[in-house]
Amino acid sequence: MALAPDELLRSLAVALRQRIGPSVDEPFAKTQAFMAAVILEKLAGQVANAAADGAIAASERAALVAELRDEVAGNATVLAALDVLAADGGDAAWNRAVTALYAERDALGAPAFDRLLGRVRVALRARLDRALVYAS
Amino acid sequence: MSAPPVTEEQICAYLAERFAAPDLVLRGVERIAVGWSHETWLFDASWTDGTIERVRPLCLRRDPGNALLRELSDLATQFRVLQCLDDTAVPSPHPYFFEDDPAILGAPFLVMEKVPGVCPSPWGRDGRRFYEDAATRGVLPGSFTDALIAIHTLDWRAAGLEFLGVPEGGNDFARGEIAKWRRLMEATGAEPDPVLVDTLCWLDANAPATPRLSLVHGAYRTGNFLVHDDRVSAVLDWETQVIGDPLYDVAYVLSELNRDGTDLLSNLVERDAFVARYEAGTGLTIDEDVCRYYQVLYAARSAVFWMSASQLHASGENTDLRLARTAWSIPVVLDQAATALGY
Repeated sequence: MALAPDELLRSLAVALRQRIGPSVDEPFAKTQAFMAAVILEKLAGQVANAAADGAIAASERAALVAELRDEVAGNATVLAALDVLAADGGDAAWNRAVTALYAERDALGAPAFDRLLGRVRVALRARLDRALVYAS
Repeated sequence: MSAPPVTEEQICAYLAERFAAPDLVLRGVERIAVGWSHETWLFDASWTDGTIERVRPLCLRRDPGNALLRELSDLATQFRVLQCLDDTAVPSPHPYFFEDDPAILGAPFLVMEKVPGVCPSPWGRDGRRFYEDAATRGVLPGSFTDALIAIHTLDWRAAGLEFLGVPEGGNDFARGEIAKWRRLMEATGAEPDPVLVDTLCWLDANAPATPRLSLVHGAYRTGNFLVHDDRVSAVLDWETQVIGDPLYDVAYVLSELNRDGTDLLSNLVERDAFVARYEAGTGLTIDEDVCRYYQVLYAARSAVFWMSASQLHASGENTDLRLARTAWSIPVVLDQAATALGY
């Protein structure tokens, strides 16, 4: 039976760290072998949790968009950015939403801007916390 | 594109011509590989002048063609800065030659004095112990502060450093720094994390006015200067210097970005001692709010730096896997930025 992708990545990392790296004499190549192991271990964790993390992220994003749409009903720029974010959870869509808020700060008024940005930041913190699990 | 390899023979032939010394030889050649910036060789050039043997300790730095921060700084600028700092109170290596012609050593390079001293990395166990021991002896912390005072009290106009660009009034300096790092971020071609975009937007919206201008090193910390006899013998890494707010450097010294598990600033200096000595030496008062602002800017800079590093690998320009691994460092500095912004 074939290994799951994350298990295969972990086994490659183990091979590099425990067998291949120690048998390499040249310092730069040895460092590269160990660094490859570090990267593979991180990727293994991300691959293993990709589906669960993706589902949580999509749920959080949908809740955010629904909440913010009601608050920015009169602002076409922010609404357009939220429409993009509703369909796409990539960095570019998030960036469009963030920059739209800053661009429309005066139109929204300071209290609304602070409230909306604060809500977006709650979602960004959740995203960041998921990334921090694998960071170092 | 990476530069072609260079040999000791090529370096020797070049220096023999520049010093008009046909019998010039290189002794103790050491190629040091620190960071992902310029290639560096250390050696002693030795030749005879009549009956006298001349020995000149030298450092050669060459542009590898795929260095980090190459969009921000080139060797020509570094050489010119060193020329301006020569014979000032700022401890720095004497610059000898700069060559822009790639026909000589395959890429632009500079030759400067090899200043006595060591430069332990503050990120490793041995380096941290080095600075902890120096902190206990008490001489280097004062010298660390004094070298920064020398940078910030330098008459930069008289030294000829206006070529770096002089900010206009108001918040022009901070806005200029944000724009510079935003350009580097865009040059990576990668989509930034939205926390970084939020941070840059916040920085733009809250840029402080700069009431005084000085030479700013831009990355003043342990690991970016040489230590000899427990004193700073030369400030190095003149790659992010700028004319701007001296508190930009102070903020970096005070920040948590460059200390690891210790209350000592830059792994070396007690905060109260640094503040008292710095304020007495410069006549400036450290504004903690402004420093906190610049610390957010440094966190954004760090994120852009790691973006640039990881993209250098992703683009195929540099195959060093340590660069690829830096992609996982970005969330760490963004965590610091987000926390500073209250989330």
